[in-house]
Amino acid sequence: MPNKDLLLKALKCEQTERTPWVPFVGVHGGSLVGVDSEAYLKSSDKIVEALKVAADRYRPDGLPVVFDLQLEAEILGCQLSWAKETPPSVASHPLDDDYDMDSLPEFSVEKGRIPLVLDAVRRAKAELGEDIALYGLLTGPLTLALHLRGDDVLLDMFDEEDEVPELFDYCADIANQLVDAYIEAGIDVVAVVDPMVSQIGPGHFRDFVAKPLNKIFDHVRSKGALSSLFVCGNATRNLEAMCETNCDNISVDENVDMVQLAKIARNAGKSFGGNMQLTVVLLLGDANDAKRDAVRCMDQAGEGNGFILAPGCDLPYATKPENLEAVASLIGDNYQIDIARNLPAKDANDSFEDVVPPDYSKEEAVIVDVITLDSAGCAPCAYMVKAAQEAGKAYGKAIEVREHKITGRDGLGYMTKLGASAIPSLCVDGKEQFASIIPERKDLVARFTEAAEAK
Amino acid sequence: MNETLEKLVAAIKTGKRKDAKSATATALENGTEPQLILDALTEGMNDVGVRFRANEIFVPEVLVAARAMQKSMDLLEPVLVASGIEPEFSVVIGTVQGDLHDIGKNLVGMMLKGANFKVIDLGTDVSADAFSAAIKEHNPNVIALSALLTTTMPSMEEIVDCINAMDTDVKVMVGGAPVTQEFADKIGAHGFSTDAASAVELAKKLCA
Repeated sequence: MPNKDLLLKALKCEQTERTPWVPFVGVHGGSLVGVDSEAYLKSSDKIVEALKVAADRYRPDGLPVVFDLQLEAEILGCQLSWAKETPPSVASHPLDDDYDMDSLPEFSVEKGRIPLVLDAVRRAKAELGEDIALYGLLTGPLTLALHLRGDDVLLDMFDEEDEVPELFDYCADIANQLVDAYIEAGIDVVAVVDPMVSQIGPGHFRDFVAKPLNKIFDHVRSKGALSSLFVCGNATRNLEAMCETNCDNISVDENVDMVQLAKIARNAGKSFGGNMQLTVVLLLGDANDAKRDAVRCMDQAGEGNGFILAPGCDLPYATKPENLEAVASLIGDNYQIDIARNLPAKDANDSFEDVVPPDYSKEEAVIVDVITLDSAGCAPCAYMVKAAQEAGKAYGKAIEVREHKITGRDGLGYMTKLGASAIPSLCVDGKEQFASIIPERKDLVARFTEAAEAK
Repeated sequence: MNETLEKLVAAIKTGKRKDAKSATATALENGTEPQLILDALTEGMNDVGVRFRANEIFVPEVLVAARAMQKSMDLLEPVLVASGIEPEFSVVIGTVQGDLHDIGKNLVGMMLKGANFKVIDLGTDVSADAFSAAIKEHNPNVIALSALLTTTMPSMEEIVDCINAMDTDVKVMVGGAPVTQEFADKIGAHGFSTDAASAVELAKKLCA
């Protein structure tokens, strides 16, 4: 880990030995290097610095260089409104009054913030590009058209049947200029991000959006790179239409049922990715929530090729790094994945009243509870149980070692009641003493002696 | 329902603004009770809501229907005011601070108007202070918060905290593409709806 080639294989629906992992570090990069989103998205130094931190801490197979869907709009005359912890928003629509694309400033990759983005791509390529695939993100035609024209685009699809396709085609041409610059700078995967697709139906998608999207995807393919279609929001109804386009990969957020996407994408020969929960889990949850959700995605993606684990969309600025690190720790580690799969749901209102640990103070022997996944099938668990047994023999006095497997109710009950912080966990007379790391025999014997003296 | 009002309902359902305007004008010229015209608009928008929820139509279709309704309301509103017909409940609505997206918020606002709510629209990028000031000024039954960006959801939490700390009975409902019931529960909102049509049902429930 990281493994760029493995990700590229998965994007092409080839078999991989593990699930690839692409955390969408956008404005979150700012929090990794201690600046707000405006300072971040205006500095290639900060972007490259954050990408290196993300590469180190999250061990990704791929990373987006910049996640900002306002880059093109800014050059085309949209005013931007900046905030501290979010990407900028478009505050004005230059085509508000009419479809006069000639009146817009001429687009060029030499303008606006694109040069600094391309500089970040080149530097990230030099520093990280050997191990990590770089994603170049651009604004999809529907979303860029909305930036330029405002919500009226959606109404115009009913009344202005000639103007709307012209505008979308114009947006695809803008995108293709960025595609050329991205690929020249070293981008491996071009992601066309079109979140507004979640707001329209498959009829409008096929009539208006598929064609300009294909113009971009075909161009990316002709350049020898891979393409992905990112849609945030509930795009369930459009999945089939999205899979009919010429992209290599579809990436969706938590609003989409991963089981359904897996089925539709595999039928269409597309790879697919997503859809870890951004706020409830990655921003507000803890490491165990993140692990559970990662496993939920992997399990829902099911058997077969072409799945890429990723957050649903741009990571919130203040996403807890430890949550992404927890996901990174799972990747490729079937033992950690099994443990996460067995973690009790956080909102489970189960207080395990039927699982009653003994009153340790009244027990004559020192009681050692080892909470495991299953010592028969999990090496670290087996070593922890063995360490307890061996230390028990060395201790030589009254002692009892009990294994509780979290694959059953007893283990989950003990895990909850004794507050086990990791698996395997070793508790002496009801108190967790060692979690995850197998202790040395002398340390264990010392804890047994302390516990016996405290009785 | 007479033929003109049936035409009005059909115009709303299909989003035909010119037909909606002419049917409303004819109904008013014929001396139709303004309440009956309003009922026809509500019927049309209800149908739009039902089809939207059933995934038969999508945002653009709802927007054209709402635009047609607005054309009718432009003619009807002065007559309603003159007749003293006022909405029973009021909603203060806005997109939360840091977020400039307003399609979802506008849709909910229009659907609420169609269901005869008084709607006070604070626009986009609205701070907790602006919401509390609006509560003091308008004493609404419901506050409706919208967010499109995942990154602005924490701002939604801040606003809910601020409102819940006030001495008020106002109910807070939240929505927007990235918002989930789980998130709504977590931040202490009184209600969440997945789309504009259910938002109307939710607002009615919260006012009951």
